[in-house]
Amino acid sequence: MRTIVVEHLARVEGHGGITVELDGNTVGNVHFDVVEGARLLEPLVRGKRFDEVAPILSRICSICSAAHTLTSLKATENAFGVRISPQTELLRELMYRGESIESHALHLFLLALPDYLDYPSATALAADQPQAVLLGLRLKKLGNLIQETIGGRAIHPVNAVLGGFGKVPSVEHLIELRGALIEGMKDSDTMVDLTASLPAANFCHCDTAYAALFSPNGDSYYSGDQVMVAAKGDLSLIRAADYQTLTNEKAVPHSHAKHSSFHERPFMVGSLARLTINPRRLTGRLAATMERLQLQLPSNNPMDNNKAQALELIRDVERALEIVEQLLRDGVKDERPVGIQPRAATGTAITEAPRGLLIHSYTYDADGRITAADVITPTALNAADMEARFRRAVEECPEREDTVIAKRLQMIARAYDPCISCSVHLVRRR
Amino acid sequence: MSKPVVGIFGLTGCAGDQLVILNCEDRLLDLVALIDVRDFLMASSQNDAACALDLALVEGAVLSRKDAEKLLAIRQRTKLLVALGTCAVWGGVAAMDRGADRRNLLAEVYGDTGQDYDSEPARALHEIVKVDLNITGCPIEKEHFLAAIANLLNGDVPVYPAYPVCTECRMLENNCLLIERGELCCGPITAAGCTARCPNLRIPCVGCRGPASDANPASLLSALEEKGIDPRGIAARLRTFAPEGVAQ
Repeated sequence: MRTIVVEHLARVEGHGGITVELDGNTVGNVHFDVVEGARLLEPLVRGKRFDEVAPILSRICSICSAAHTLTSLKATENAFGVRISPQTELLRELMYRGESIESHALHLFLLALPDYLDYPSATALAADQPQAVLLGLRLKKLGNLIQETIGGRAIHPVNAVLGGFGKVPSVEHLIELRGALIEGMKDSDTMVDLTASLPAANFCHCDTAYAALFSPNGDSYYSGDQVMVAAKGDLSLIRAADYQTLTNEKAVPHSHAKHSSFHERPFMVGSLARLTINPRRLTGRLAATMERLQLQLPSNNPMDNNKAQALELIRDVERALEIVEQLLRDGVKDERPVGIQPRAATGTAITEAPRGLLIHSYTYDADGRITAADVITPTALNAADMEARFRRAVEECPEREDTVIAKRLQMIARAYDPCISCSVHLVRRR
Repeated sequence: MSKPVVGIFGLTGCAGDQLVILNCEDRLLDLVALIDVRDFLMASSQNDAACALDLALVEGAVLSRKDAEKLLAIRQRTKLLVALGTCAVWGGVAAMDRGADRRNLLAEVYGDTGQDYDSEPARALHEIVKVDLNITGCPIEKEHFLAAIANLLNGDVPVYPAYPVCTECRMLENNCLLIERGELCCGPITAAGCTARCPNLRIPCVGCRGPASDANPASLLSALEEKGIDPRGIAARLRTFAPEGVAQ
């Protein structure tokens, strides 16, 4: 009997570990241990007024704080029947793209890249290959510049509020963004070259199901309210209001993240899932990029999520530039947020955070005080799938030494881009 | 002179203050040339978890026995301990209702399984160990972090504003959300240093930086009551980021 333990998973957000038990070459228990403390924000937010909810629940996670904020606003707006303006939709999409650029660049360059090149950290890598690290930092900064310009702050944005924005960006700020995005187009192209040049990571192969927002235009993080699940060619569509059929959560003793399954099967969310569910977006430059990255869909290799993020990064920069140019062309109106009339109702919003599906569902009383909140995060949705993939990776090479297996397990964990603070979630048990 | 040995740690929180450090994109490589970061789990897979430290930067609140043990161990190995962010300095959002029954909350979220979890009411770092410097903010301001490092490298201690957000807001010549629009703005009692980010965007301050030492809560309360705002709502809002009884 052998136990392989990764006590502290490094280069991820939050505190987690991995435990795998082996009896000879037979794999026994496999656990993704979430040891991050439980903050229990969900019951704590109860009784708060509708305008206090997003700033509190944003604090679930820093890296996805724009996603949490915007998903929270959308859930509350859905509950109260608030219709936001097309300009607000566009600015929110821009914020979402900004967060995705920052998050993907952070993950690809500072968290995942050192594994492929055998360094402990990006700063250690910078001693030998400063250009690669500086490229990543420039892209990351671009994402933060968008978030600061539109959201008012890179982490825990303040400017996006119910019904709209506190202040819309000035023409000067948009011109500055356009300049940075034009540079970013070149940088994202270099980023693809770098990603394509990395050694292959082929040590875990198994089919899984994928779930992502079914996007009406094939390319969005924030619009649409149906989730598509693809399992072995079978497609299912789930409406936002029915999200519990997807999550079907179960608390487990070894983790503060609850586990999810669809029809008793784990599934994967995130970049690879989005590309698999919405392949219509993959034309022209993106199709060519897929070839450069040697990425084929559907993939049975979880490590391909890194390539999928590289592909999304290209698209995010391109789309952010389109939005900024449209705003400059049409002019930005000094709109005030739409007025809010609270009512007793439930509202649910599903969006795509950088690392996958994010669900906020709230119930309000007639005074606009929240009586129940349910937050389902991508890392919690991925937890069961990660464990299945850990198992498979060990089954493919049980004879290898512990250090090799441990490194592979950590690389798989990082490929999911886990956000462990997020996964410790805060859901009311129903 | 040898470089100071630094550790960067997260207890329970959102990792936002560690992310602010990684968000110093233009300074990150200069920074690691000046300080020797030996223990930073979020950024490196090769850490010395036992070495003596000159400086420990700790974010997050203490929410479990494990957090408390980790914090005590960090205190033992470091000369200076800096609390990074509102959770570390004040307890933060997880501390907003410290009087609530933890077992009930756990049962509500996790059912019976939750009863065995290692989980305690949120505490700020100074409630457990001696803290040498507080950098507040949710998250901290990048400039405050860089100023702290620059000052400490020169044997000095940075000074942050003791005055409230209102002072910064007035200097920007904004219309007052509280007096002129009757909105519940926490600016009069919240620590400045954010250049009045929210009111400058026409959004009321939510108090995310915690109380200013130079504040007058009684005068805010009477100003709000004059505007007809329910005092219970005000009290709840003031407790969102910094609960009562955590004063330093």
